Amino acid sequence: MEYGDTISIEEPAGSRSVRLQPDPTPEATSRVATLLRRFDDLSDRLSPIVVKEVRQIVCGREFNYSFMVSLVIGLLVAFFGAANASSGSGTTGQGVFTALTACLALLGIGIVPFGAFSALRSERLEQTMDLITVTTLTARKVIVGKLLAQAVKLATLFAGMAPFVATSFLLGGIDFVTIVVSLAMVFLVSLWVCAAALLVSSLAKTRGMSGALLAGGVLVLLLLFGGGTIINRLMFGLARGGVVSIGIPFRADGWWALAIGVTLGALSLVNLMLLAENRLSSPVENKSTALRIGFFVQFLAIIGGFTAVAHFSSLPGAVEPMAVFGLLHLSIVAAFTVTEDFPVSRRVLRHIQTASRWSPLWTILWPGGGRGAAYVLFQMVLLIVAVRLLSTREVGWVVAACGYICLFTGAPAVLLRLVRPRISAFYIRVAILVLLSASLVLPDVLYYIVAQENGFNLLYSTRHLINPLRTIANWSIVEARGLYLMPALVGVMGVLLYARLMVMNRRTSRTAPLS
Amino acid sequence: MSEAVLQVEGLVRHFNDVHAVDDVTFSVGRGQVLGFIGPNGAGKTTTMRILATLDVPQGGDARIAGYSVVEQPDKVRRVTGFMPDYAGVYANTTVFEYLDFFARAGGLHGAARRQAVDTIVEFMVLGDLRERQVEGLSKGMKQRVALGRALIHGPQLLILDEPAANLDPRARIEFRTLIRELAADGKTILLSSHILTELTEMCDTVTVIEKGKILASGTVRDIVDGLRQRRMLSVRLATPDPRLERFLLEQPGVVGVHEAGDVASGVSPAGDVVSGMSRTLRFELDGDDQAQVQLMARLIAAGFPILEFSAHSAGLEDVFIEITKGRVQ
Repeated sequence: MEYGDTISIEEPAGSRSVRLQPDPTPEATSRVATLLRRFDDLSDRLSPIVVKEVRQIVCGREFNYSFMVSLVIGLLVAFFGAANASSGSGTTGQGVFTALTACLALLGIGIVPFGAFSALRSERLEQTMDLITVTTLTARKVIVGKLLAQAVKLATLFAGMAPFVATSFLLGGIDFVTIVVSLAMVFLVSLWVCAAALLVSSLAKTRGMSGALLAGGVLVLLLLFGGGTIINRLMFGLARGGVVSIGIPFRADGWWALAIGVTLGALSLVNLMLLAENRLSSPVENKSTALRIGFFVQFLAIIGGFTAVAHFSSLPGAVEPMAVFGLLHLSIVAAFTVTEDFPVSRRVLRHIQTASRWSPLWTILWPGGGRGAAYVLFQMVLLIVAVRLLSTREVGWVVAACGYICLFTGAPAVLLRLVRPRISAFYIRVAILVLLSASLVLPDVLYYIVAQENGFNLLYSTRHLINPLRTIANWSIVEARGLYLMPALVGVMGVLLYARLMVMNRRTSRTAPLS
Repeated sequence: MSEAVLQVEGLVRHFNDVHAVDDVTFSVGRGQVLGFIGPNGAGKTTTMRILATLDVPQGGDARIAGYSVVEQPDKVRRVTGFMPDYAGVYANTTVFEYLDFFARAGGLHGAARRQAVDTIVEFMVLGDLRERQVEGLSKGMKQRVALGRALIHGPQLLILDEPAANLDPRARIEFRTLIRELAADGKTILLSSHILTELTEMCDTVTVIEKGKILASGTVRDIVDGLRQRRMLSVRLATPDPRLERFLLEQPGVVGVHEAGDVASGVSPAGDVVSGMSRTLRFELDGDDQAQVQLMARLIAAGFPILEFSAHSAGLEDVFIEITKGRVQ
């Protein structure tokens, strides 16, 4: 038989098959084969990565041990819970449910994300990622497939625990809504940590780096969830906030907080995946637009969520958190978008030119530091307008903060690109950090050296106007003393630097496409 | 040459100051096998990775079945199969699951996917290994599975980086046969190898690369003819004769006379006792067939006891040594 020949699955006419043993149930066998083939055809609707990963997961030791251990723990907890219930308190279910959820949370936040991290890590270290790259699968499909495979793993672990969770409900002391919301939250948090693990894994190219990132990730996780109080925070932190109130009806504010939390969590999960995709994509691909759209939607959700809270709920002071979250978001986004390299691949350049004809505004979503500057400015305007609509009192410091963001990200980008046009974005980001650190420390250090005082004078004064964090934190002093000149200068310079970046980007795109 | 499936034009790839690929241009026709040879660090793998869309050139372009690797990498991937110099296998995966995954990843669905896997299993003779774990296979078998993986979506061009490395002699012979079968089936194949004798048997044409630059390209015969204007000849005497070297050097068109081992002792026709001297001398003759006939006649007339008088054809190894020897440093 030659390669490429068609395999005939029909028996030749007149051929007689010889059976050594009689088949007891040929019809049943063919029915099973047909059913399996249908399932096989159905699996084509899934990402190939999901199929491969799930096949690997079910054959792997990690999943089998996790599943077995969770079942044993579930059985023990249910057994002791049932034994305790014989006392007739009627609230044993709450304790049983807490213990079961704690077990699921440990698996979901510890074991399963580690599996996600290892899955992508081994693809990169064993170089099988290259083999996938040369297929029709895109980086996005790979990341989504890996996350979905972990979701399947999580769902299986949750399904294994379902009978024991049902027992906790029957034992009393916990209502159905609390069970559903708590399990859904644990599932979503686990999925979010899996997405974060995939992002961390996508950053590593070597074994050493991968190990260091894993250690860093574990440390961050411990800090986030408070070490030994992971479960406490996860479960009872929500309960104290009024979101999950065991035995107590949900308050309206709690639902608002839950809705905002879930929305922002889901959006940030998508952005984590887009960031991981960005790391895995080829340099000829457009690595920025999807990310910019993702982060813009997240930004709109921040503004929209807090605006909705301010209008429809009884929670006071939604404007300040909106501004703080919005500015934090913008400062991080600015540090990455404004510093992007100017040259783009020929392929991307052609797409940009096509899109520009359609709508010039659309181009702010395309790669390049100059377009990034326009993208950030556009969001700053939106934030200022939103704050202005809700409260006129807060506008001043928000505008000032925007000015500082422009200056501290724009100055290193423009200066370094003027000195070395092809400088890597990494060095510009390092320069931003150095500049920010210097602005935080230098005013006090220089004053100490010049004034020759006995100790540091940390009281806010005019010299601290260069320090963005202290200036924003002490905005009431700035307003009281009328120290507007410096923040205004900073803002004007920042916007001018952004304008300069846009011009530089425009010129470079025309003259020097990458590859 | 038949219709070019692969056309590389002015490809450039630098890593800081290292010119890994420097203005590389070549093309390969349908059903042809091109051997890509060069010393370590010559730029073979970088070129192959660019063609497989795993790397991006800083200049130039390559077209595979008409698609640009820079501007249409997604289309290039549909018509290209790449087999790197590592196995790239998964844990907890059988041969069937491995091939099935890459068939799905190659865009095949349903019956077409199942048929592609069955065809590859049969063509690569993997039937007995179908349910075996890929990780536990021998190197030769992994190589077979890897080639099957590269073929499963029916590519027009196969890019094979050191495909015969680490294979035992039997596996190499089988691999060589497979390559020729694939070429006969219309596949265009670009492969690199350090085992030059094998390339001679597998490839229709070769391209020699060093320090990122193409030094020679064409059939082995064309390259040899282009390089060697002189004939390589050798004379083997029944007994060593110290006069032969001088005699040869006095003949018109003869240069580069040197001993070629085959040391022996004895009495020369002149009656001198010689010991530890070579019976065979190699030399180059700048001349045609007539010059070669006349030289042989003069040697016989001079009374040398000639056992053999032969011409040597240069092989790929001679070409490789000749071309890459410090030419571009």
